Amino acid sequence: MTPTTIKRINWVGGIFTVFTVICAILWAFPIYWGIISSIKPEDEVIRPYIELWPETLTFEHYWFALTETQIGTWYINSIVTAVGVTVLTVSTSLFAGYAISQLRFPGRTALWWLILASFMVPTQVLIVNHFVLMADLKMLNSWAGIILPQLIHPVIIIVYKQFFDQVPKDFREAAAMDNASEWDILFKIYIPMNWGVTTALSIVIFIWAWNAFLWPFLAVTKTEMMTITVGITQVFDAFGVYYARQLSAAVLAGFPVALAYLLFQRRVTQAITLSAGIKG
Amino acid sequence: MSEISLNNVCKSFGGVQVIDGISLDIESGELVVFLGPSGSGKSTLLRMIAGLETIDEGELTIGGKRSEHLAPGQRDVAMVFQNYALYPHMSVRENMAFGLKNIRMPKDEIERRVNDAARILEMDALLDRRPAQLSGGQRQRVAIGRAIVKEPAAFLFDEPLSNLDAALRVRTRVELAELHQRMQSTMIYVTHDQTEAMTLADRIIILNDCQIEQIGTPMDVYLYPNSRFVAGFVGSPGMNFLQAELSGTAGKQQAKLGDGSQIELSVDLGPGAYELGIRPEAVRVSATPAATTGTATVVERLGERTLVHLRLEDGTELIAQDGGHSEVKPGDLVHLTFDTSQLHLFDDKGRAHHAK
Ligand SMILES: Nc1ncnc2c1ncn2[C@@H]1O[C@H](COP(=O)(O)OP(=O)(O)OP(=O)(O)O)[C@@H](O)[C@H]1O
Ligand SMILES: [Mg+2]
Repeated sequence: MTPTTIKRINWVGGIFTVFTVICAILWAFPIYWGIISSIKPEDEVIRPYIELWPETLTFEHYWFALTETQIGTWYINSIVTAVGVTVLTVSTSLFAGYAISQLRFPGRTALWWLILASFMVPTQVLIVNHFVLMADLKMLNSWAGIILPQLIHPVIIIVYKQFFDQVPKDFREAAAMDNASEWDILFKIYIPMNWGVTTALSIVIFIWAWNAFLWPFLAVTKTEMMTITVGITQVFDAFGVYYARQLSAAVLAGFPVALAYLLFQRRVTQAITLSAGIKG
Repeated sequence: MSEISLNNVCKSFGGVQVIDGISLDIESGELVVFLGPSGSGKSTLLRMIAGLETIDEGELTIGGKRSEHLAPGQRDVAMVFQNYALYPHMSVRENMAFGLKNIRMPKDEIERRVNDAARILEMDALLDRRPAQLSGGQRQRVAIGRAIVKEPAAFLFDEPLSNLDAALRVRTRVELAELHQRMQSTMIYVTHDQTEAMTLADRIIILNDCQIEQIGTPMDVYLYPNSRFVAGFVGSPGMNFLQAELSGTAGKQQAKLGDGSQIELSVDLGPGAYELGIRPEAVRVSATPAATTGTATVVERLGERTLVHLRLEDGTELIAQDGGHSEVKPGDLVHLTFDTSQLHLFDDKGRAHHAK
């Protein structure tokens, strides 16, 4: 390799680095702005020019969000509904994906096309139907009402089917020779061989469900049934909206998800490489 | 008593008849090898016995029990897969115990069997490892261990050595033979490698085009092949095939080769054109003028013997065998003798007729 080619490669690498750094700043700036605004006094927040650091540090907005609102209840609602959505979506998709991938039954292909087709339909299109349905079932303002319409994630079934398709058929045959029932094959072989997928999907669904706004906003009118994303909109008092207070509530709302991701990030990557290793 | 018997079994895949009425008896304690080229139906036949492929028609008896309708796990056979199919997320111990747990065998019995198998296969130290932490040869052993713990009526192997490197393959082959000696268990072994078949088998079943071509002991199959196909498939280097014109009367016949030379022989056949087969070890280099002459093209020195590739005067190619200290060099003109008791003639249907 000549010195010039080394230089050229460094050039490309340098440009790429600069580009990624710019993207990262663009992406991270709103978060930074939200966090520092939440620790500024309200009058500093509404100043018409940009200040990258607060003049006076204050945690009064956090104090307000934690003591003057029902944030504790909202947290509980968010946890229950997000965990519920995650567990139910993963378990149903798991069975559906397995059945379509591994079992032979009449209507299998039709079912598969149906699932693929429903993947094309954005859930927002169905939101009015969901609302009417939930109202008829008297499930508005309940955990079940928040959870049920959020269980529609055909993509999870598709991902599971794809992964189960890739498991070499030898394992299935070895298990059949080992007297394993269909149940054993799913729970003792296919799922453990694909733990990485289940972990990754669970985290992704949990984050979706935690961040969900539109549906919980429609499904709930009572303050004490709100999830935290919806609850943020309630952080005002007789004098109107305080941006810093809302931002502090938003930071509190995002905190558990950020924490969960930070904690599991290594596991997710690890899990994905592990399940890729099985296939090798 | 025969341990496994197939009676007129048939199998088709999507309307295409693949196995068409095969019958076969395998004795208790016997190691039978299904030998044949790729696509000859070895795996299909084995998988029909295992229960991994359904049997469309015919009967299958395993250990005296009609089995064609039983689920794979209930047939009292254990299978070793070509790719081992060890469950990657389970330790070696769990891999071996899995099948036993599924039939709710008591814990201490499972423990005993796993430990016994580990001792037989000398892999006590590996029991707590995952398959990913094992070498190819060790995985192979675990796969065999997983079969042994079931104490089945028969073991089924589908090309179990094909994923090992050459040296390990030879070693494992010997170990398998030893294991069979020690356990005296019935085994069916599928391979397309005729050396494996010759070294391991009590009986070889040669398949061609999903038909049984010949059943016999390795030496039977080697010395008295039924057909042109078997003669060509068994033995390495392969049998020489030459065009020959047979004349004379029974008891004193001559086969005239393409280069005009004559070989005296005795075979139950009328005059006519045949294909003549003779193994390299029956074609010898002679110091004095003999049946015919050929020009050496390649000389392969294998140590204890030498293979001499020759071209006869009419261009026919032939391999002869000479001693380890052969002095033949490429380009030499050499005299050849044929051992006339080891000649085979093949008629136009490929049927073999052995010289006396
Ligand atoms: N699932 C299947 N569907 C259709 N045809 C099949 C199927 N399995 C096997 N066959 C056909 O049956 C015939 C025998 O195949 P089989 O796998 O038994 O051969 P084999 O002797 O084991 O070959 P190899 O040495 O390559 O493993 C082949 O012609 C093959 O194409
Ligand atoms: Mg095969």
